[in-house]
Amino acid sequence: MRKQLPPDMLARDSRFVRTSIMDQVMDPRNQKIGERDLGSARLQPERPAAADRARNLMHGIFTGEIQALEGAGRTTFDFDDDEAPFALKLDMARQCWDESRHVEISVKLGDWMGTEIGEYSEAVFLYEAACAPDPVLRLCGVNRALEGLAIDVFNTMKEFGDSSGDPVLEFCEDWMLADEVTHVKMGSDWLRRMTKDDPERLEKALEFQRTVDKLFSLGGFRGETEDNPIQLARNFRSMAGFSTDEIDEIAELAAQAKRDAEALVAGSS
Amino acid sequence: MADPYKPRAAFAPWDRRELPGIFSVEDSARRVGNYKWLEMRLFESLGGWVATVPELDVKLVLGRHCYHHAWHAELMDKRLPELREMDTDRLCEAPNPEMEAFVEALREPEAPEHTIEKLVGVFRVLLPRKIAAYTYHLNGTSRITDSPTQRSLGFMLQDEFEDWREGEMLLQSLIETPEEVDRATRRQAELEKLILAAGGISGPGSLGPIVATEGASL
Repeated sequence: MRKQLPPDMLARDSRFVRTSIMDQVMDPRNQKIGERDLGSARLQPERPAAADRARNLMHGIFTGEIQALEGAGRTTFDFDDDEAPFALKLDMARQCWDESRHVEISVKLGDWMGTEIGEYSEAVFLYEAACAPDPVLRLCGVNRALEGLAIDVFNTMKEFGDSSGDPVLEFCEDWMLADEVTHVKMGSDWLRRMTKDDPERLEKALEFQRTVDKLFSLGGFRGETEDNPIQLARNFRSMAGFSTDEIDEIAELAAQAKRDAEALVAGSS
Repeated sequence: MADPYKPRAAFAPWDRRELPGIFSVEDSARRVGNYKWLEMRLFESLGGWVATVPELDVKLVLGRHCYHHAWHAELMDKRLPELREMDTDRLCEAPNPEMEAFVEALREPEAPEHTIEKLVGVFRVLLPRKIAAYTYHLNGTSRITDSPTQRSLGFMLQDEFEDWREGEMLLQSLIETPEEVDRATRRQAELEKLILAAGGISGPGSLGPIVATEGASL
């Protein structure tokens, strides 16, 4: 088996349909949808499309968890003992188990919510962040950026479960949220340990994280305003080792990502 | 009321543990180092394979088992300094080049069509060998002096048995044609020959008899 498996080699059964993140962001229908004045973009049960949006999001969580599992698994394999410390690999193996459980939970929740595997497409940008050749960059891209997004998503879904009167959804999201806080903290701790005497490597890793964070903001998908379906979960991010300045920076990156996407769509129409 | 000051034997009548064991501190440390090396190579392989198998149930099982073997490696790593091996990397090695060759061959399959080959290597060749060697160590070492190793091996064996059963059931569900039976048996034979040449997971003596070293038994 080779080291460094490219994203196009991720193995899936026949139910899965692959798409690209750019296709999703650049979908010309987005502009039309944006022009409709429906009030808050938050996931709220009173919105007519709330159930469909929640199902779509749950399927996205499901495919994201598969890729997180694959990314953590590859980090145990791709690096020799002198490139990644033994304890780091143990943490990644533990994350494999956690992500494996999250896939199981997502499959059952998807079933509970009335969707099925393959009903929505899969973009593999999450796994792409796990392909960095430096393990520190992977920790920043996956554990701090991707798992950070997962904190925001799970907290949003947990609140939706609460407001829509779905205790099963709320219960499961809360458990997954606990794991994600652990994974983000793991990333923050390893980032500090592995770059303690290497400020250049630290800056490179943080720059990679900024890029991934902006990409994960998906043109306004995540943020802190009424226009953002997924809300930045400041308290849980703080628990996971993010400073207030770092959270402020992610909020600004998210706002920037929304402005960029609007400009792109306006330019292409 | 029973007299709490009445002398009692240190060992209850039903506690039949004895002092003698067939492994010295050095013997046990060497084997523990071999186990750690093997558990590491195994959890890395399972982690690497997750992305290469299209079958969703297999993918999830590999993710779960990856952690089991990482935990075994951690248990062995923690035991090494207690066996006077302060440099926990020094004994973390294959027992011989033949075992390294076996592991190389085990982790070779990559293509998504080769799930059977991947699983046969782990669940029909390696795990049975591990169960055998760990059981030999568990039964042969002193139940009093080397009790910490025994306790860890007990936990590890529990995982190995359950994981083996789960892997074997996955294989039985994946093998649907006579041709696939041939593929599985061919793969098993290839790997069995390699691990036979290695003498087992900790080399010749994996299942005994071993050459007794000075002070090995009482």
